[in-house]
Amino acid sequence: MLTYSLRRLLWTPVLLLIISFFVFLLGTYGPGDPVEVRLGHNYTPERAERLRDRLGLNDPFFVQYGRFVGRAARGNLGESLTFQNRDVITLIAPKLLTSAQLNIAGSIIAICFGVPLGFYAARRQGTWIDPTLVFCTLIIFALPVFFTGPFAILIFAVNLDWVPVSGWGGLFDYRVVLPALTTGLPGIAIFVRLMRASTLDVLGQEYIQTARSKGLSAGVVNYRHVARNALLPIVTILGFTIAGLFGGSLITELMFGIPGIGRLALESVFSRDYPVIMALTLLGATALVVANLIIDIVYTVIDPRIRLQ
Amino acid sequence: MRKLLILAILAAFSAVLVVACTGGGTEDNNQQVVVATPTPVPTRAAQVEVAPSLQNTPEGESAAKADSATGDGDDGVPEGGIFTRNWSDPPTLDPHLVTDTTSAGIVVEIFSGLVSLNEDLEIVPELAESWSISGGGTVYEFKLRPDLKFSNGEPLAAEDFKWSIERAAHPDTESPVADIYLGDIVGVNEIIEGRGDVVSADGITVVDDRTIRIEIDAPKAYFLAKLTYPTAYVLDRSNVEAGGESWTDNAAGTGPFFLEEYKIGQRMVLARNDNYWGRAAYLDNVVLNLAGGVSMAMYENDEIDITGVGLADLTRVQDPTEELNKDLVRVPPHFSISYVGFNVSEPPFDDPKFRQALNYAVDKELIASQVYSDLVMPAYGILPPGFPGFSDEVEGIRYDPEKAKQLLAESKYADPETRPRITVTIPGTGGSAPLDVQVISTMWEDVLGVEIDVQQVEWATYLQDLNRSRLQAWGGIGWEADYPDPQDFIDILFYSESSGNHGHYSNAEVDKRVEEARTEQDIIRRVQLYNEAEEIILHDAAWLPLWFDMEGLALIKPWVKNYTFTPIIVPRLKNVYIQK
Repeated sequence: MLTYSLRRLLWTPVLLLIISFFVFLLGTYGPGDPVEVRLGHNYTPERAERLRDRLGLNDPFFVQYGRFVGRAARGNLGESLTFQNRDVITLIAPKLLTSAQLNIAGSIIAICFGVPLGFYAARRQGTWIDPTLVFCTLIIFALPVFFTGPFAILIFAVNLDWVPVSGWGGLFDYRVVLPALTTGLPGIAIFVRLMRASTLDVLGQEYIQTARSKGLSAGVVNYRHVARNALLPIVTILGFTIAGLFGGSLITELMFGIPGIGRLALESVFSRDYPVIMALTLLGATALVVANLIIDIVYTVIDPRIRLQ
Repeated sequence: MRKLLILAILAAFSAVLVVACTGGGTEDNNQQVVVATPTPVPTRAAQVEVAPSLQNTPEGESAAKADSATGDGDDGVPEGGIFTRNWSDPPTLDPHLVTDTTSAGIVVEIFSGLVSLNEDLEIVPELAESWSISGGGTVYEFKLRPDLKFSNGEPLAAEDFKWSIERAAHPDTESPVADIYLGDIVGVNEIIEGRGDVVSADGITVVDDRTIRIEIDAPKAYFLAKLTYPTAYVLDRSNVEAGGESWTDNAAGTGPFFLEEYKIGQRMVLARNDNYWGRAAYLDNVVLNLAGGVSMAMYENDEIDITGVGLADLTRVQDPTEELNKDLVRVPPHFSISYVGFNVSEPPFDDPKFRQALNYAVDKELIASQVYSDLVMPAYGILPPGFPGFSDEVEGIRYDPEKAKQLLAESKYADPETRPRITVTIPGTGGSAPLDVQVISTMWEDVLGVEIDVQQVEWATYLQDLNRSRLQAWGGIGWEADYPDPQDFIDILFYSESSGNHGHYSNAEVDKRVEEARTEQDIIRRVQLYNEAEEIILHDAAWLPLWFDMEGLALIKPWVKNYTFTPIIVPRLKNVYIQK
């Protein structure tokens, strides 16, 4: 397993090299120019030329790309073009951490409510409870964030005055509740549906009948046999949640005044801030690779029949 | 009419979306929604510069105190307190790099220069206590105030100004605008165009510790106004050189405040600079929340002291029975104009009669009242009302459908069969054109039978196409003044050689007047020249001028006193105090 993991990880730089090459290509030959965005209404061809020259944007493509790779290999992703003289890593790192904390809080809510509810719905299949629950989760899933967010603000912050309208103090600050709820709600629906389906699947298995016919108590059957096996597919989803941890949730972040990565990511695209775009792309790719690896490893732990080659 | 109504509803809906997406970070987000054609992001993502209270609106003033009732002078004003507001991360805090109002709004409170604009937009002495102009208007000699210090306690002398201006111009500084604001100074362009080898400008002479002499290449009436812009601000050489690229994190300035704390994307705290040359600021701190949030709700929860008012809350705050109504203040308009531009070097816009026909066919009064609920002011000139050089007598083209039809019939493009297809390009994402462009295209079709395509491209691409004159006609943008001088509109936008003249408009009569006005010393004559040029431009229908900015609305907490709203950025926070 160790050699397998190492081999997978060794591929990562190659993957990143390929991805960065294409992002760089798009940046160089795609429409829009960061220098012209920065100059805005002060644009003159001479000014733009001078600035491009200073920023090294006039060099041939491979010189620029080579310079990028050389610097990136030493852990330097360059400076933002919009936020002048700001190192990309110092610019994005605190925002990424903030978004990750928000996403963790959201995932916790989604799992803590979604998994038990899904399990419960499956156990009550055939009664009115199951379709009602499924229907409700569908509605929750369909509610857009820009509806649930303001709604939560209106009730809990403005009318009840329990929490401030905005602000951020990290994962362990009470102000995390509303935004976490807003990001977590659609997740609840996903986990309910997933857990319900996999529980139903397990319930139909012969070994459950065996367990029951052995005379095991309902509690033991439910929790030791059904729940444990039904959780397997959840791990896959959980893995991708990890990969998505560093992605910003633009609307939630803006609504609640959370200094996450969402807005920066969007604005960097609009202003052609290539160093920032590049850093976020590479980070996203790395996160996916690592998450996949973790999922594979966790599978072998939970289900010994799976072997990594 | 039904069509207009539907459009209005769509507008209201998309406005809500825009607010949701921009997070209402600053008042201006709301402002941008209210105004038809928001001047798009980074270039002119202006913070709102705003207006006097409803209770005491001194008429005819370009700026007024938000609360002048408690104006018992500088004495007896309670010191201390914190003023909190929403803001956005500034692209830079280096004065010499500033090109946008988000940065400028902070920089003017931390740094300063020889001269400054006061709240009535007059040029007033700042670090220079006096100056004299000689050499036929080309030599400025500034006398500095005694015992000037930076916020870190370091003394400041004439030499610092020389170094600062030369630093702003040096290629390593990468200032995008040094040539605009400092290029008139003899020798500065040589530094800018050099490859780092030229470091000193002949036009700047240190006479003694408290005297600096600046020589410019020709007598230019607007030179002092340019020195109020951050590019000309003074920096502490040792502070800049010791701090490296991130020197602004511990910047030493000469403004009424200094930067105490800055967490990117979270918050910025300014604190009173006790080394300020004049009366120290009353406030202990100014806290800028950079993380966004629903501005209106934060205001109602007392989390911030000031907010703009978006379309959604307009009716509510104007209701006298509402608690919030007491906090309502009027925000004076920005000095800006939005327009539809024509590329006059391309058919069919190369025929003035065709352009005039398009101008006569648009009923701006109707659009303003029916689509925008009179939140915009129809523009029939170029210079905004209240702007230096503005004249009531300059009269542009007003709605006249008959005249429009007649002009079209006389033009080269009367025949719809041979008339080239027209595409109006607008910036943005989301697919729907600004309301005014939609209605105007309907009016052109109804009155003239001229059909147009509206094409939306994303901002960076739009800018690139605009700068390369690839657009046939364009809308969805505006122009806003950087400094209070008509040169900032007429010369930059319509002089035939100017790179801001995206439509290649060229008229020798205009050029002649603009050139003459640049160095004209007589103010009356100068304004007259600009007005004549403006009249010619309007008659030539170089643009379809659309809207001037109108007064907006803002809410400010009753305990915040002396906050002034101005149409362009000026230092203002040193006069603000808190009285609870």
